[in-house]
Amino acid sequence: MTRAPDLALHNIGLTYRQPRSGGDVTALRDITARFAAGSFTALVGPSGCGKSSLLRLLAGLLPPTQGDMSAVTQSDIGFVFQEPTLLAWRSVYDNVALPLKIANRKSGLSRAEIDTRVIEALTWVGLEARAKALPRELSGGMKMRVSLARALAKRPPILLMDEPFAALDELTRFRLDDDLRTIWQQQKPTIIFVTHSVTEAAYLAERALVMREGALQSEVVIQRPKNSQGNFRAAPEFHATCAELGEALAAPPARAS
Amino acid sequence: MREALLRLLPLGVGVAMLGLWEICVHLTQVQIFVLPPPSAIGTALVDNFATLMGSLWVTLRITALAFFWAVVSGLALAIIFTRARLIELALYPYVVTLQVTPVVAIAPLILIWVGFDHVDRALVIIAWIVAFFPMLTNAVQGLRSTEPQLHDVMTLAGANWWQRLYYLELPAALPAMLTGAKISGGLALIGAVVAEFVAGSGASTGLAWRIIEAGNRLEIASLFAALALLSALGIALFYALTLLEWLVLRRWHDSFAKSG
Repeated sequence: MTRAPDLALHNIGLTYRQPRSGGDVTALRDITARFAAGSFTALVGPSGCGKSSLLRLLAGLLPPTQGDMSAVTQSDIGFVFQEPTLLAWRSVYDNVALPLKIANRKSGLSRAEIDTRVIEALTWVGLEARAKALPRELSGGMKMRVSLARALAKRPPILLMDEPFAALDELTRFRLDDDLRTIWQQQKPTIIFVTHSVTEAAYLAERALVMREGALQSEVVIQRPKNSQGNFRAAPEFHATCAELGEALAAPPARAS
Repeated sequence: MREALLRLLPLGVGVAMLGLWEICVHLTQVQIFVLPPPSAIGTALVDNFATLMGSLWVTLRITALAFFWAVVSGLALAIIFTRARLIELALYPYVVTLQVTPVVAIAPLILIWVGFDHVDRALVIIAWIVAFFPMLTNAVQGLRSTEPQLHDVMTLAGANWWQRLYYLELPAALPAMLTGAKISGGLALIGAVVAEFVAGSGASTGLAWRIIEAGNRLEIASLFAALALLSALGIALFYALTLLEWLVLRRWHDSFAKSG
């Protein structure tokens, strides 16, 4: 894994014209934030608060209309969407290998190297045995793991995740959250994780940024006891964090103007 | 077992209808040049087998060539249209014009321009005009219907336009393209028959020409024999393309989820 650059946003705004009414809609306003290399940030907020837009902006899929942000190369980014977004006609293996194959002109990976990385990524998510399966033969949770493996196979220094486990049942979500924590601890990519779940944010991240109506509302640092590797969900710190995040979300939006 | 019997049902209906036809013709003493019994049609088929097979080959060749060019041109134009909005805006009305103008009305022109030296070529062009539009529209629709998020995946992977087309858009458009091909295949045959009819006497020797010839001579049994071969050709074409669709899509496409 290459070294992760810091990500910085300065007074970022995003407005777009509504096609029908012609009026301007503000999706993001005046966002200044810093994501240190190797940090794990959760973006929390209600639906439509702009958190997905912010993530797409960080990925370079959307240009900001105001403000500056640090330049990121898309090859440094692994992106996990809310849906698995797999190509139905390609096997699990071929789905994970595709971004590497496409990037191959620039990165010059050999066939064997690609193979190693794909198998490695599939092993991280525990799906090496299903490499030949087609997406439709997998459960929703497994598809999401493939999607995660596809992002990880690039060994990206930055991992952007847009409510990746929101559509899964709670048990599967807990397991994938654990997997993600492990991967983060082992490889220390910068992770920005969008979720609307207070408990998921509290469990996963080092800090949470609370968003309301397109603006950053508050920042909550998440305290995690050093030695409670096993069951953080039962720790009092976890519940305190959840409560704090819940309050931050419920607070009336701090309107800038 | 039950499933297999149900598959044979259409065959049973066909046999019953032919039997009924045979009996009715004999009972009502209809003249053979008005409605021949199936047995006479069978005899005509056997007696003229060599000629009819030659004609079948001619019609099949025109159909296949028209279909081939319909698929190639429809797909190529669809790719150009979905890449260059300006070209689509500029050309689409003319493509529609070509489609909505009755081909019988354009056929004499094509025959004059191309047909003097190469009748076959003129027939292929006429059949192609009939066949190519569904291929184009279905391919365009297929290429456009790719999920936006899958496009994001390709963007993040750094795909160029060719990789995006090859890895994402073409495979995603396959179901729509195969639907288009199925319609185009049937239309290519119709186009070939129309072309032969328009080309008229002696210019071609396909099945449609056999039908005209037999009609002029009041050899209605031969007419039916040629007609039966045309239908058989159309059915064979349809099922061949359905088989192709099944072979290509059965592994991953939802519409085959149960049988796969």
